[in-house]
Amino acid sequence: MRSPVYAVVCAAWSAAAFAGLTPEQAALLPPASSRPVVFSQDIKPIFEARCVQCHGRGRDKGRFRLDTRESLLQGGDSGPAAEAGKSQESLLIGLVSGLDPDDMMPKKGTRLTAEQVGLLRAWIDQGLPWEAGVSFARPAPLNLAPPAPKVDVSASSPLNPIDQMLEPYFAARQVKPGGVVEDRVFARRVYLGAIGLLPPADELEAFIRDGGRDKRAQLVKRVLAEDRAYAEHWLSFWNDLLRNDYRGSGYIDGGRQQISAWLFEALATNMPYDRFVAELANPAPESAGFIKGIVWRGVVNASQTPALQAAQNLSQVFLGVNLKCASCHDSFINDWRLADAYGLAGVFSDGPLEMFQCDKPTGKIAEARFIYPELGEIDAKADRAARLKRLAELMTGPQNGRLPRTIVNRLWARLFGRGLVEPVDDMEQPAWDQDLLDWLAKDLVANRYDLKHTLEVMLTSRACQLPAVDLGEAVSKDYVFRGPGVRRLSAEEFRDALGRLTGVWYEKAELPVATNSIRAALVPADPLALALGRPNREQVVTTRAAAATTLQTLELTHGQTLADILQRGAAKLVESNSTPGELVDHLYGSALGRTPCAAEKQLAAELLGEPVRPEGVEDLLWAVAMLPEFQLVQ
Amino acid sequence: MITRRDFLKRAGAATLSALAAGYPRRLLSAEAAAQNIRPTADTVIVLWMAGGMAHTETFDPKACTPFEKGMAPSAFLSTFPSIDTAVDGIKFSQGLENLARVMDRGTLVRTYTAGDLGFILHSRHQYQWHTGYAPPQTVAAPHLGAVIARTLGPLNPVVPAFVNIGQRLDVGEGEELKAFTTAGFLGSEYGPFNIPFPDQAAESVRPPGGMTPGRFENRERFFKKLLAAGPIGQYASGYQRESLLRSLDNAYRLLSSPAAKAFDLALEPPENLRKYAPGYEPGRRFDAAADRFGAKYEDQMVGRFGLGCLLARRLAEAGARYIEVTTEYIPFLNWDTHENGHTRAAAMKRQIDAPVAQLVLDLEERGLLNRTLVVLASEFSRDALIEGKPEKKVKDQVEVPDKIEDLKFYGMHRHFTDAGCVLLFGGGVKRGYLHGRTADERPCRTLEKRVVIEDLHASIYTALGISPKLAYEIERRPFYVTRDGQGQRIGELFG
Repeated sequence: MRSPVYAVVCAAWSAAAFAGLTPEQAALLPPASSRPVVFSQDIKPIFEARCVQCHGRGRDKGRFRLDTRESLLQGGDSGPAAEAGKSQESLLIGLVSGLDPDDMMPKKGTRLTAEQVGLLRAWIDQGLPWEAGVSFARPAPLNLAPPAPKVDVSASSPLNPIDQMLEPYFAARQVKPGGVVEDRVFARRVYLGAIGLLPPADELEAFIRDGGRDKRAQLVKRVLAEDRAYAEHWLSFWNDLLRNDYRGSGYIDGGRQQISAWLFEALATNMPYDRFVAELANPAPESAGFIKGIVWRGVVNASQTPALQAAQNLSQVFLGVNLKCASCHDSFINDWRLADAYGLAGVFSDGPLEMFQCDKPTGKIAEARFIYPELGEIDAKADRAARLKRLAELMTGPQNGRLPRTIVNRLWARLFGRGLVEPVDDMEQPAWDQDLLDWLAKDLVANRYDLKHTLEVMLTSRACQLPAVDLGEAVSKDYVFRGPGVRRLSAEEFRDALGRLTGVWYEKAELPVATNSIRAALVPADPLALALGRPNREQVVTTRAAAATTLQTLELTHGQTLADILQRGAAKLVESNSTPGELVDHLYGSALGRTPCAAEKQLAAELLGEPVRPEGVEDLLWAVAMLPEFQLVQ
Repeated sequence: MITRRDFLKRAGAATLSALAAGYPRRLLSAEAAAQNIRPTADTVIVLWMAGGMAHTETFDPKACTPFEKGMAPSAFLSTFPSIDTAVDGIKFSQGLENLARVMDRGTLVRTYTAGDLGFILHSRHQYQWHTGYAPPQTVAAPHLGAVIARTLGPLNPVVPAFVNIGQRLDVGEGEELKAFTTAGFLGSEYGPFNIPFPDQAAESVRPPGGMTPGRFENRERFFKKLLAAGPIGQYASGYQRESLLRSLDNAYRLLSSPAAKAFDLALEPPENLRKYAPGYEPGRRFDAAADRFGAKYEDQMVGRFGLGCLLARRLAEAGARYIEVTTEYIPFLNWDTHENGHTRAAAMKRQIDAPVAQLVLDLEERGLLNRTLVVLASEFSRDALIEGKPEKKVKDQVEVPDKIEDLKFYGMHRHFTDAGCVLLFGGGVKRGYLHGRTADERPCRTLEKRVVIEDLHASIYTALGISPKLAYEIERRPFYVTRDGQGQRIGELFG
């Protein structure tokens, strides 16, 4: 029979042991703070700085979640973390005190100070007052729910919906947008934005002369209706995103597959975006290349097996989610966990997928699941075909508000130089105008995912007709929208513009497109295209670096590729037997959409000589092509 | 020779702003910054023995058994006898007599071991050698040269910091080579200036074919006038416009600067051309479209590597920062001996022996060797029998007969990753030093002081004053210049 003394000693012992400390250690605990503790000022910052990394935002090391007062009190594997009113006996205090060298929290990072421990003690003694509504759980992802913009956009208003929404935005920031740009600047923007070509001089002249009130809206419609040109232009955009090219690493041994024919057809027929995504996520053979990825011979890091490539690329491109870090370990830069990346990968994999952490096997098998279970579930036990079908449904169903937002954001970034959300691959952030983003997304869905419709809305807005704004080198957090950003012609746009100017295109297209004017997107990259930034599509590319570099200009000034184009072009132009004046007018009209001023005309005529010398034409072509006015879209 | 102070004084706004540029951000931990690395080199020249250079046929000779019809492949470890070098205790393979004479200026590592990628694919191992990371990667990993270009810039702001000589990128496994011959996410400002044919290097800094220098300058002047004559106002300023005009200026400056002459091998005294490229007839032009298969290729390219070494010396003098010269990787050619290993190794040694030794001597004579780190390396080694490592064999790619009846089977045809030679000169490395030991019996593997790529890179970076823990930020994560910041400088290599 145990003696009463023994019982008391045991109770004292277990009380101290409950805090994880010996009685000697417990005596060394910092005292509870004497002042009244304010949760939001005193406690919340400690949790956010020291605890939430492992016990909040979806993480639950030791199965302990700090999310709410209830979950804290309930505790995890080691039992309740605290007992209200009894800080000396609370496990949490014992651990953060650092007095037990074998059992200290946080496991990583700086110890809590004595003052902080004291505040926590006081807080526990005061009954753990927890401010209503505060949670350390993983916040609901932004931009996921079906878009429901709060503003009312009037269909009867003469203003484009984008402009209606920007009115309060501008007013709140005291931005007074300028007058709209002149016709030829607008036309250049529209042609390049919609189909990646310079406006033909004669069409441009007709447009400028046109007195119709809605001629700009009509122009946008007309240009967007040029299906083949549209496809040839947007082919590059999608090739960058879908890692598709005619040549590249991995083709040499059959580990990679093109989707070029399917993609071109989809663009030329303006395939609705939801079907487009579904055919990539749940593909037929001609669109299977995207989720197939690159299958390498030999051993690859576990985070780069085809199933994981598919998970990373699908989520980056269509959902604006970065699963790359989470493919090796719980991510340090966002809330995604290893299990999330492997869950999605499991949807694509042929057999059960073992999870690897930092390239070492964990012995755990990933259960296939979608990364946003709030949108719906995938039956992990179904076969691969069924899983992919379900994945396509979840990606494109009405409950998925992320899909339309991600694409309208990319299109906006294309046309305006900066997305509503930046970076465009990180969609779990607020837009600089949330209603605008939501409205554009909702409008896309309401118009049966017609991307051309969204482009039309954007291109016909007054916002898209404002004077161009210098956006500087990097995206700034203080960005205020004032108009489209000045941007530079892409590698393909530059080459195609030269094509228009010189009549020199490519010889042989990789796709069976019926045209003599073979554009840059239809051929593999040549040295000029590579120098000007056409990427090696071994990884997904969603934004190309824009500013000129010296290696680029070395190619432009010394390179043989450009020199050949100019030489052949000059020969054609000389054949036309124009006078110097006519030639200069023609070049300026085609290249810049205007007539040369007197000084320009004189300089150019001098260079050309009379009769016109081929070398003069080459050099004039070169000089015009180097002008910022030519290379930049104002 | 331009000192640091001179460089900073002369550096154009372009270079300085590029160096100071925020994007991608440099990340250097306090710990790494505190390391306070004192550089011993300003320039790096990498001599790239693409295709797998057999260690026992070059710088780590073993017992030699001459060819005998009917011999077993296991009967030979080397197919050449060994020769003495200027350093007691270090022998080379016959055919490297010139390099043997300058061994006392440098360090020989015999124990470089390549990564285990599960299957021997040259381009994958080359990717790992040049970026420090095994492919594939989730971001476009930068080449060693690009990291150095981004971190240090050129010595002379007019000259490209990173020059890559001797490799065509539109042949063989060109697509796979392009994947690592790039500045990757660091941005194309730091990418390689490619010169596949050193005899034609001058053309890459001259006006394009058919244009006289007079016309070229006239064109530039005309452009400036046309620009000034055009409408101002909204086109007057802005980041994009300034980048374009500044970059055009930089390109033009290179042409008109004295540094451009460095690219022109015709300006080198003819006796020097002969020292670097003994079999080369001055004025002969390498044909970029030449037949790439069989013996014809190797005959046609005689002297190309040697001239590349000479070009590298000239560019180092002119202020480039990182220069790579390769014997060129074309599947099954040059060092990539899947057959005729003996005869081909003899030819490759002829290709490299005179020019590499001459490069070392020339740098020494010009007082540049102390501050120029020269690194000769290959992606892995070769053996007659073993593919991969003894404990980590990989799929055999070459048939090896039980008995060797023909000379074409006599040589190192399989890919061996458990040893390899790296020869280093200058830039602070020890003189006349041997690092590591390999077995004298098959498998001729590393026994002591294994060297892996992140440590080799760490040694190169620290020689230049760059921390192996330096990182650049991409997609909000750090990307370290050595794998995960784990590279450790090999102190024993340095004096």
